[in-house]
Amino acid sequence: MNIKRRLLLSVVALGLALPAMASAEGTIAIITPSHDNPFFKAEADGAAAKAKELGYETLVLVHDDDANKQSELFDTAIAAGVKAIILDNAGADASVAAVQKAKDAGIPSFLIDREITQSGVAVSQIVSNNYQGAQLGAEEFVRLMGETGEYAELVGKESDTNAGIRSSGYADVISQYPELKSVARQSANWSQTEAYTVMETMLQANPGIKGVISGNDTMAMGAWAALEAAGRTDVIVVGFDGSNDVRDSIAKGGIKATVLQPAYAQAQMAVMQADTFLKTGSTGVEEKQLMDCVLVNADNAAKLETFALAE
Amino acid sequence: MASGFSFAGCPMNPMPLLALALAATLPLTGCKIIKTAPAGGETSATTDEARMAALVADSYVPKLIPHVAAAATDVVPLRAAIAGGLDAAGAKLGLRGAGGGGPWNFAVKGAGVVVTSDRASRAAKLGLDTDADGVADVQVQLGPVIKGTALRDVAPFYVFTDFRDQIEFAKLARALNDAAGAAIVLPEGDLLGKTVAFEGAFAILSAKDALLIVPTALTALP
Repeated sequence: MNIKRRLLLSVVALGLALPAMASAEGTIAIITPSHDNPFFKAEADGAAAKAKELGYETLVLVHDDDANKQSELFDTAIAAGVKAIILDNAGADASVAAVQKAKDAGIPSFLIDREITQSGVAVSQIVSNNYQGAQLGAEEFVRLMGETGEYAELVGKESDTNAGIRSSGYADVISQYPELKSVARQSANWSQTEAYTVMETMLQANPGIKGVISGNDTMAMGAWAALEAAGRTDVIVVGFDGSNDVRDSIAKGGIKATVLQPAYAQAQMAVMQADTFLKTGSTGVEEKQLMDCVLVNADNAAKLETFALAE
Repeated sequence: MASGFSFAGCPMNPMPLLALALAATLPLTGCKIIKTAPAGGETSATTDEARMAALVADSYVPKLIPHVAAAATDVVPLRAAIAGGLDAAGAKLGLRGAGGGGPWNFAVKGAGVVVTSDRASRAAKLGLDTDADGVADVQVQLGPVIKGTALRDVAPFYVFTDFRDQIEFAKLARALNDAAGAAIVLPEGDLLGKTVAFEGAFAILSAKDALLIVPTALTALP
């Protein structure tokens, strides 16, 4: 079987396992950014678990946020004759062509986490509502700050759309409180070590800082480490992502809050919609769907595990 | 709320009249958002805020306020229905907004005695007792900072697929909240002990969540 050999080769080349048994329902491709980030691993795991539960084989691939690589992976998936593609895409504009290519080959795509700039190409776009999540985090931050005081913001990697979306969501809420004064705003590129250095500098220049709002949890962890080292554990820190590291910090009274994106549940929902679509020709829901984020603070942090909140 | 969808075609809008009305203010053509120049030769250089403000100007008073008034359930039976099971109450009396698994949005009306009052915060609120047990059952948001997306998501005619992205859609929610906040006229003071009548919307994720209402109508009764 030519196709099977190609599929096997590409999968082996990626160091991933392909299930040996062919299944009655066919194969679903699951394409995400690198699993080095536990968020994307949770996403891929969630999709794969639901696909297996529904009787599908899975083809799990990573595009490393490279649109060219993503295009090649789509070729691989199309050649393999997958029934559907679950995708966390590598660029809102750049991904439209790849999704269109699959559609032209009769393969429906179901997008998770990030949206693309055109509707009518994918069957579903289940979008993480980063803007709403940022508003939630900012509302909690404002409450913890008592609506007043000097604060700093750590921004994510500027090339990543979500860095801008989260920062806008923060600004949307915080700008409505004139007593909150922004004294520093700088990118730390999603990086813990960079955030540590940036926080040290910010603190020296602005010893009156009362709070830090961060575009993600890894930067929040870096900032918190710098604050601890400087004996400034009075500073309020709020992150974004809902990682287990920040959960543990919240439990110890360190970082005050974060915002959970339900990565696992979202991926499962996409597979369920793919299954419904394949069986009935329709998902029964709108193409674009927003998945809201959930605030995590001392009240519910204990229920958080691997990007999912227990009931 | 959800329109049918076929893979090859476009989602059909179940409300052609409304689509027409929206098309007048949004760069909508058929099933797709086109980011460039809208029909009629208008420039697309306006900001998200300006376009959403225009959409709200065209839809808030003529459509949203009447929709909330018509869809509103009285707060006492609504709270009882929610206590009996949020998903069942939501399916019958609410809307899920733009996504599955998200909060349920409800239109609500009623009256209650003011038992808590915070008008110092920029996110000012009144706590109303609607069942005469002395405890606040709902919080009415007074602004100027009004939180959430309940006003947007309680309306079946604002559909996420019709918007460019989550930012534009979020600006719509903000513009609706601003319109609601700007329309509030109440006497000064904490209003404790006064009776306040309201219509509005709220969103909850679980039956235990506090009911945080964005008012579309609010009157302090004499």
